[in-house]
Amino acid sequence: MFRKSLTILVGHFGSGKTEVAVNAAMGMARDGERVALADLDVVKPYFRSREAADALARVGVDLVAPEGDLATADLPILLPRVRGLCTGFSGRVVMDVGGDENGARILGALSDLLQMADHDLILVVNFRRPFTPDPESAVAMAREIEQVSRLRMTGVFSNTHLMDRTTREVVEEGLQMARRTAGMLGVPVVGVGVEAGREQDLAPDNPGCGVLSLRRVVQPPIEGPRVPRSGPLFVLR
Amino acid sequence: MARKLMKGTEAIAEAAIRAGCRLFFGYPITPQNEIPEYLSHRLPQVGGTYVQAESEVAASNMLYGASGAGVRVLTSSSSPGISLMQEAVSYMAGAELPVVIVNIMRAGPGLGGILPSQADYLQATKGGGHGDYRVPVLGPWSVQEAANLTMEAFDIADRYRTPVMVLGDGLIGQMMEPVELPDERPPAPDLPPKTWASTGWKGDRPRAVINSLYLDADTLEAHNRHLQQKYRQIRERERRFQMRFEEGDYDLLVVAYGTVARVALSAIEELREQGRRVALFRPISLYPYPYRELAAAAEKARAVLVLELSAGQMLEDVRLALGRSRPVHFHGRTGGHLISPEEAANRMVEVLEGRSQEVADV
Repeated sequence: MFRKSLTILVGHFGSGKTEVAVNAAMGMARDGERVALADLDVVKPYFRSREAADALARVGVDLVAPEGDLATADLPILLPRVRGLCTGFSGRVVMDVGGDENGARILGALSDLLQMADHDLILVVNFRRPFTPDPESAVAMAREIEQVSRLRMTGVFSNTHLMDRTTREVVEEGLQMARRTAGMLGVPVVGVGVEAGREQDLAPDNPGCGVLSLRRVVQPPIEGPRVPRSGPLFVLR
Repeated sequence: MARKLMKGTEAIAEAAIRAGCRLFFGYPITPQNEIPEYLSHRLPQVGGTYVQAESEVAASNMLYGASGAGVRVLTSSSSPGISLMQEAVSYMAGAELPVVIVNIMRAGPGLGGILPSQADYLQATKGGGHGDYRVPVLGPWSVQEAANLTMEAFDIADRYRTPVMVLGDGLIGQMMEPVELPDERPPAPDLPPKTWASTGWKGDRPRAVINSLYLDADTLEAHNRHLQQKYRQIRERERRFQMRFEEGDYDLLVVAYGTVARVALSAIEELREQGRRVALFRPISLYPYPYRELAAAAEKARAVLVLELSAGQMLEDVRLALGRSRPVHFHGRTGGHLISPEEAANRMVEVLEGRSQEVADV
């Protein structure tokens, strides 16, 4: 699903890039690969990859994110080490980029290196989020991200869900829209995300792409009447 | 509308539009920035206007003007920004202007930090600015409820001609949950017409002057009596709360609002599986506070535990409600830390087993 040494996850705000990044990086680490996860989120103030620091450390993923006071700052911080990851890192690198074209702007600062690195630029999309209700809006967002990042999209990851209210229909409908989006962009759908433990219930019959089981790692410590809790808490330092 | 996955901030913003709000004035501050960002996209699509003011002070005074013209208007901010708005909120309370203010609280005091907090409770529920006034305050515990209460806040504001606040901790603003909104949420049919609004004088009525200045003591006292009468009505009619596990007996009553009540519920559900008898009381309206209902709910319990993301603010209202009738215990976190379900459960067990010290008089 993510084959290149450098996987860059972009997409609209709240599309699930962080959960895909954290789960993908942890999966690679479990498969015995050396993995670094770069948290480049300069958009949202909470629920960033860095909040999964403990879970990532346990499986040996190298988290590259602002530390100390700066970990909980709402500042656009680009760590110098990220440039190093683009050139001199022998393992796999996953980049979790902030939402929309605003978040992707940080890639522009790395574009001199990224254009030469063997990379995938993956659009993560959830069609149940308010600003991407259809393939047309997803394509428009992809084009804006390409413009500011100075990179070309290479794949689409279908992540349509409604948390605990997700049904097979929601996933199927999202995957179909992801296929249309990918068609318009001229790239493949590389994967579809389903909640871990509900694969039987949710995974499409003939996805035509990889299926990634997503365990919610970065989440608040609260349960609603129907919200099942899995994984560690929303870790605040 | 099909069910969407929304952040609390986005749901609040869309709910305002569904409730007929077409004007937003504000100034950016974390963790509520998605409200202005969302409305800057959406309001032009529905024929509305979004203005990023030069400051919170300016934004809140723009609210005064817009509401004076009789239209539904919204602002949102986070703790330090809300402090800056208080002068205009007092003026709007004095001039009886219906507006909706959203405060997505961050940790304080001062600039504090951007992580979740409930430390603006006293500021919100006891007035906030100068003078004798109160603002109805609603505290949602889920994204769906944040949207619902925002729509309701516009009706409460119009019904009583008062500013109304939706008070969410940072988590309510930032977490995502599935939400369903009505396509349109028209104003309640029995709202009084806004005959007081300044909509252009045509000689057929006295000029509508929107003001909070009364230099004559008798006139100002009469105005204050009128306001207090209104607050009495609000206290009588607008109390909202929810209980869990109220049927049957319980030894401990936990009181919490907002997302902390969700954490408390998780902990209570775990403890009940172990056979411990614990119930939850969740105030939804923080002003008016459901004093009577809380006092009645506490009668069954041996002790009460208050959980808050503050050093103990709602705690004061709980103690007002209960007097000396039940021992009150407290657990709070500050600085942006959340209370974990395990932490909450541990405190509950401590109280149940007599290992907790009750809140002392100071």
